Amino acid sequence: MRRQGLLWLNAALSVIPASLFGGAAVEGRVDLPKSHSAPVQAKRYEIVTKAGVLSTLPPLAIVYLDGNFPRPASLPTKEVAQKDLTFVPALLPIEVGTKVQFPNLDDQYHNIFSYSPAKRFDLGRYRPEERPIPSVTFDNPGLVTLRCDIHEHMRGLILVLNTPYFVMTDTAGRFRLDKLPAGHYTLKAWIDSRTTREKSIELKNGQTLHVDLP
Amino acid sequence: MSAAGATRTTGVASFRARLFTAIMIIVATLTALGFYLAQRRVIADAERNLQQTFQTELSSMHKIEELRHAALADRCNTLVAKPRIHAAIEDNAIDLLYPTAKDELRDLMQGEEPPPEQAAQSLHARFYRFLDDTGAVISPPNPADVGELDPATEAQLSLKKLPDTQQIGYIQSGGAIHEVIAMPIFSTDTGELVSALVIGFKPLEFENKSTGMQSGVWVDGHLDLPALAQSAQRLLNEKITPALTDSGSQQNYFRVEVAGAPQLLFHKRLNPGSLFPPAYEIFLYPLASWTAQLSRLRWQIGAAGALLLLGGFVATHFVARSMSAPVTKLALDSEENRAERERAEAALASTAEELERSTRYSADASHQLKSPMTVLRIGLESLLGREGFKPQVYEELSTLLHQTRRLTGVIDDLLLLSRMDAGHLQIASTPVNLSQLVDEWLDDLGALPESPDVKIEKEFPHGLFVAGEKRYTSLIVQNLLENARKYNRAGGRIRVSARANGKDVVLSIGNTGRTIPPGENIFERFHHSSSPSAASGHGIGLNLARELTRLHGGELRLVRSENDWTEFEVRFSAANGVDAIT
Repeated sequence: MRRQGLLWLNAALSVIPASLFGGAAVEGRVDLPKSHSAPVQAKRYEIVTKAGVLSTLPPLAIVYLDGNFPRPASLPTKEVAQKDLTFVPALLPIEVGTKVQFPNLDDQYHNIFSYSPAKRFDLGRYRPEERPIPSVTFDNPGLVTLRCDIHEHMRGLILVLNTPYFVMTDTAGRFRLDKLPAGHYTLKAWIDSRTTREKSIELKNGQTLHVDLP
Repeated sequence: MSAAGATRTTGVASFRARLFTAIMIIVATLTALGFYLAQRRVIADAERNLQQTFQTELSSMHKIEELRHAALADRCNTLVAKPRIHAAIEDNAIDLLYPTAKDELRDLMQGEEPPPEQAAQSLHARFYRFLDDTGAVISPPNPADVGELDPATEAQLSLKKLPDTQQIGYIQSGGAIHEVIAMPIFSTDTGELVSALVIGFKPLEFENKSTGMQSGVWVDGHLDLPALAQSAQRLLNEKITPALTDSGSQQNYFRVEVAGAPQLLFHKRLNPGSLFPPAYEIFLYPLASWTAQLSRLRWQIGAAGALLLLGGFVATHFVARSMSAPVTKLALDSEENRAERERAEAALASTAEELERSTRYSADASHQLKSPMTVLRIGLESLLGREGFKPQVYEELSTLLHQTRRLTGVIDDLLLLSRMDAGHLQIASTPVNLSQLVDEWLDDLGALPESPDVKIEKEFPHGLFVAGEKRYTSLIVQNLLENARKYNRAGGRIRVSARANGKDVVLSIGNTGRTIPPGENIFERFHHSSSPSAASGHGIGLNLARELTRLHGGELRLVRSENDWTEFEVRFSAANGVDAIT
């Protein structure tokens, strides 16, 4: 109930210049690749590979502000669960240094591993009751492909970013980033494992910049 | 005659010999042809049998190979389907590829049922390598784990492009040949070809204990046939390589000498359509027993052929004899014919010669006689014209003169005949009044001194004209009338009749008196009657008359001679148009 109220407030405030609350904001739209599949429910998407390129289906993008930001002392632990023989969420953007837990929510073994250059790890086979929940800390930026040695078809992606400012677009490609520091930056949009669009932007306190990434 | 007989016998014998030779040549040719065809058939059959044996053995061997390939393919598929392998390839973790594969293979082998001993041996990989997306070999970080290979051998594993199906290849390394199988690796996500796994094995060796067939592998100019010594392998390779590199050659077997023993060599492409260099399976099949069998068959066929030839020889002999029998007879007959003909020709020649001689003789004699006769006649006539001889002398002289004239007539007749015989007599044909001619001669007949008392009957129209020369026509009539008078009896009669008969004029002269015996050829020259008679001629008259008649295109014949009556008939050609006027 309280969360809903906050959302409402947030929505109401969004029409007010961001500068009133301090920091800059950027909003806009990422032109997403056309999806041939029928629209699916929000929040439900999967990782697909096409010509060696991994992306989400339906297409989604992660928009982030690239730059050299001070590393926070501690970061919240994130979670990628295995549920119904899929990774949930299938795509997870995190800041470098974030610890991700991989709880097994199925009633069978999973064996999460990654051979990706950004992070190689192998959690081995474990059952749902495995405690502590197997976790990995991602120290290098880059895209990490999650696989399960037991279930070949399972794919998950973790996008390890060098920035705390990132957001996932909705299926229409709309995004909004708040509380950004003023300054000269590069705004990037990760579309798939091979495509990242970028645009130089100038952020000013109290201003909401409108940027489209076609 | 004996010489001719010998010639004839020789000729027939040589004909028989030639006939015999000809038939023998045909028989021998047919036998040889049959022998050749039978032998070819037998060899073709034997080769086909051998081929079938080979194919059977080959197919049983290929079944083993196929089983192995299938088992290998199965294992490779399991391996390349492993998510870690895919992760290593797809997630750009090539350094993890070989270690992962090593772990996976170990897991794979542990999880399997222990395979049969033979399969375990043959399935034991000597080495394996992954190919990248260009088909090049991904070098392993630790070759000891995946089977060490020298760089040249490793390079042979590379392909021009990634294969999309299982490829079988054979590579040569340090004198040994490895069988390799390349398995494509498809991305489990996309189904795209991302890599390939090449696994190397020791090739299956096959030796059939019952036939002694040996097998090996030829690849890219190298032969590996472990059953043979190195030197023999090298020699054999020199023979095989040109045959295998000649892609146009369809025959998949040929004969070779290996270590002095004849062998049949079969070859079969091991990896048709493969991206790897062409490799052939080589089989050596010892021909020792086969050649022995073949030569035994040849002997059998040869013996049969010889028997056939012998039979043909005997049969030919009889056939030639029976066929030449009519010819022998023919030769005999023709020899007799020839002798007869020669005799006839000789007789004809001598007759002609005689005839010629006699003709010439009568002509000469006549000429020789004519002059003295004229002298004699003139002398007698002049003596008769003198006076002062006794009356008996005149009578004698008159008789002599008569006889001389008669002789002159005979000589004239002979001269005429000889001219006719020589073909020198020409007829100048004019119309001759036959009626007048006969009348004149009948008048003369009555005036002749020693003419007997005969009665003459005439029965012909006046002015009957015939075509001829008057001189000769007159002679014909004279001869016949004189004969009718001469051979008549006292108190007899002569009957002369003539009539026109179409284009002919027929003159008939009949007389009483002695008849001519049947069968007597009165028209023959110098003919003399067989029966004695007071009246006799010199035997020329009738012959001359007939010859002259024929010369005029007519005919003289004896119509009848019986009952005191002899009648001749002369047929003249009527003179054209003359009788119509008269």
